[in-house]
Amino acid sequence: MNRAKSMLFSVALSVMATGAAQAQTAYKIGYIPTSIGQALTQAWRSGAEKVFKESNVTFQAYDANMKAETQVTLMDDLINQGYNAIILQPADAAALTASVKKAEAKGIPVITLNTDTLLPHAANVTMDDSGSGYLIGEKIGESLGGKGNVAIIQSPPGAQAGIDREKGFRAALAKSYPNIKIVGAQNALWVKDKAIEVMNSFLQVNKDLDAVFAVNDNMAEGATIAAESAGRLGQIKIWGFNGQKSTLTLIEQGKITGTAYTNAFNQGGTAAKYAMELLTGVKKKGAKTEIIVVPPFAATKDTVAQIKAEDRW
Amino acid sequence: MSVSAIRRLILIGLLISIGAALSVANPSFLTLDNLMTMLQEASLTGIVAIGFTLVLITAGIDMSIGAVIAITSMICVNFISYTSLPAYIFIPIALAMGCLIGWFNGFFITYFKLPEFIVTLATRGILTGLALIAAVKDSQGFVKNVFIQDELFLSFGETVGPVYIVVIVFFVLALATQFFIKRTRAGSNVYATGANPTAARLTGIDTDRTLIGVYMFSGFCAALASIFLCARMMTAMPEFGIGSEMDVIASVVIGGTPFTGGIGDIWGTVIGTLFLALIKNGILKLGLSPYIQPIVIGGIIVVTVVLDVWYKGFAEQRVAKLARQKQMPTREGV
Repeated sequence: MNRAKSMLFSVALSVMATGAAQAQTAYKIGYIPTSIGQALTQAWRSGAEKVFKESNVTFQAYDANMKAETQVTLMDDLINQGYNAIILQPADAAALTASVKKAEAKGIPVITLNTDTLLPHAANVTMDDSGSGYLIGEKIGESLGGKGNVAIIQSPPGAQAGIDREKGFRAALAKSYPNIKIVGAQNALWVKDKAIEVMNSFLQVNKDLDAVFAVNDNMAEGATIAAESAGRLGQIKIWGFNGQKSTLTLIEQGKITGTAYTNAFNQGGTAAKYAMELLTGVKKKGAKTEIIVVPPFAATKDTVAQIKAEDRW
Repeated sequence: MSVSAIRRLILIGLLISIGAALSVANPSFLTLDNLMTMLQEASLTGIVAIGFTLVLITAGIDMSIGAVIAITSMICVNFISYTSLPAYIFIPIALAMGCLIGWFNGFFITYFKLPEFIVTLATRGILTGLALIAAVKDSQGFVKNVFIQDELFLSFGETVGPVYIVVIVFFVLALATQFFIKRTRAGSNVYATGANPTAARLTGIDTDRTLIGVYMFSGFCAALASIFLCARMMTAMPEFGIGSEMDVIASVVIGGTPFTGGIGDIWGTVIGTLFLALIKNGILKLGLSPYIQPIVIGGIIVVTVVLDVWYKGFAEQRVAKLARQKQMPTREGV
């Protein structure tokens, strides 16, 4: 009886020992997007989760409600909790710089998404904001034959990603299509309902509006709703940015002209992979921020079919 | 022991027990680093809440506090970007600006007899716009958030030992304000104005002056918090503080100062601020989904306030019952 017990015990012990040997080191990785409830940030999250599933990682997401102050609080908290790495989409470049620096000083690599901070850190995995803005500027210029009235639906002041997109867009028009007039530029806070309001005012003021560039898809969808209810959707070309699933569908339906699509699953996955490579020592942190650009793709009615169903987010 | 003292003890008890539960749930809660960051968070809200408590005691409300934070941060960052004036010159100017905005609020409320909510909401709107206009722009006119490198200014975000300077300022300000409202004539005028303005006027209290003073103090507190916020973030954004009103109001109300005016004090606000900061900090340690977190925070606040109100009702009933029992024999005697 006693012998049987001790045998059982030793078997249990050896099982535990091999179990421990097989288990990889456990990592805690935090994810702080500007807001958790958006198609883009959710796509990043599931892209990253897919990568982390293969290793022993606790991946925890936090919501900052679009506020830089909240992000700083969250960064402090993850540092105090001893997280191993942080994937961050800074609400503002300058505002998060100190936090990122603090984390890196404690040996926690920070990988930023889209918006880069001002001091060197592990990596920045970004869409090509100004390049894509430029591309859209050229597409609109071309489709209008170099003449017409264009309006811009902007992001909140200070949002770097939106500013870069708008700058790229304006640069393309200024360089190649100087006869296209920008008749208005209004902030719609990244959201659909505000964009409807802004678009309505554009429509009332400008009787011959030819094209609209909204610096994200949510706002492009809002602009579409407004133009449709004013019965002017056919006369106005609307471009968005990001390439979320609902917008791609609207492009197929011919309601939205186009968007700069980025594979967000892929982008989130890239950030996750980079974090794992740093933690497992495959990669070493350099003196400069490693910038990884995820190339955009101009999705229009002709090209949207090339985006596979599993790559739509 | 008085009813209000017991209510305060209940809140402190809850504070400690939630803290204890959190330290069991996640050991990183009870580390020095975490407690210090939590106090820093609490102090940034708390400094604003001290000024707001006085406004609430006069039965008023100040919706402009968040926007004062925004405009003050813009004033500082403009001085830093475009002048070489040292921080000890422009910080007092920024604080004075906070007082001036408070004066405007108070002036419109008292001179034109306008509702506090409308006046301060209008000020909030105007200041939000002004903050965007005043923001530092790049060559193409886009708002550019400056990374502040002014050493003296940044020292406001530093620590003394492990304690952040803002925490020390918060407690000193709380102590001074508590002394002011409980031990000085001007302080009791604040209570009198809130409890019954007509009676206060008839007893010779200058309620208008009291009100203007209270709003100026509220503006000053918001401006002060703004400087610490900028120093912590090492930048200033035109949307700083906008929307933070709700946390401030919640802290003050949890601390036992009601909207009806005439009662409340600073210690309550200090405890309320710590309570809110504790919940907000602790929730992050539980590994909950971000969708659940705001629900839990809201739930805890409701439970706390319900407990508080329930105890208040219970205590009042008991006092009334005792009073009735005492009256009985005298009646029989007659």
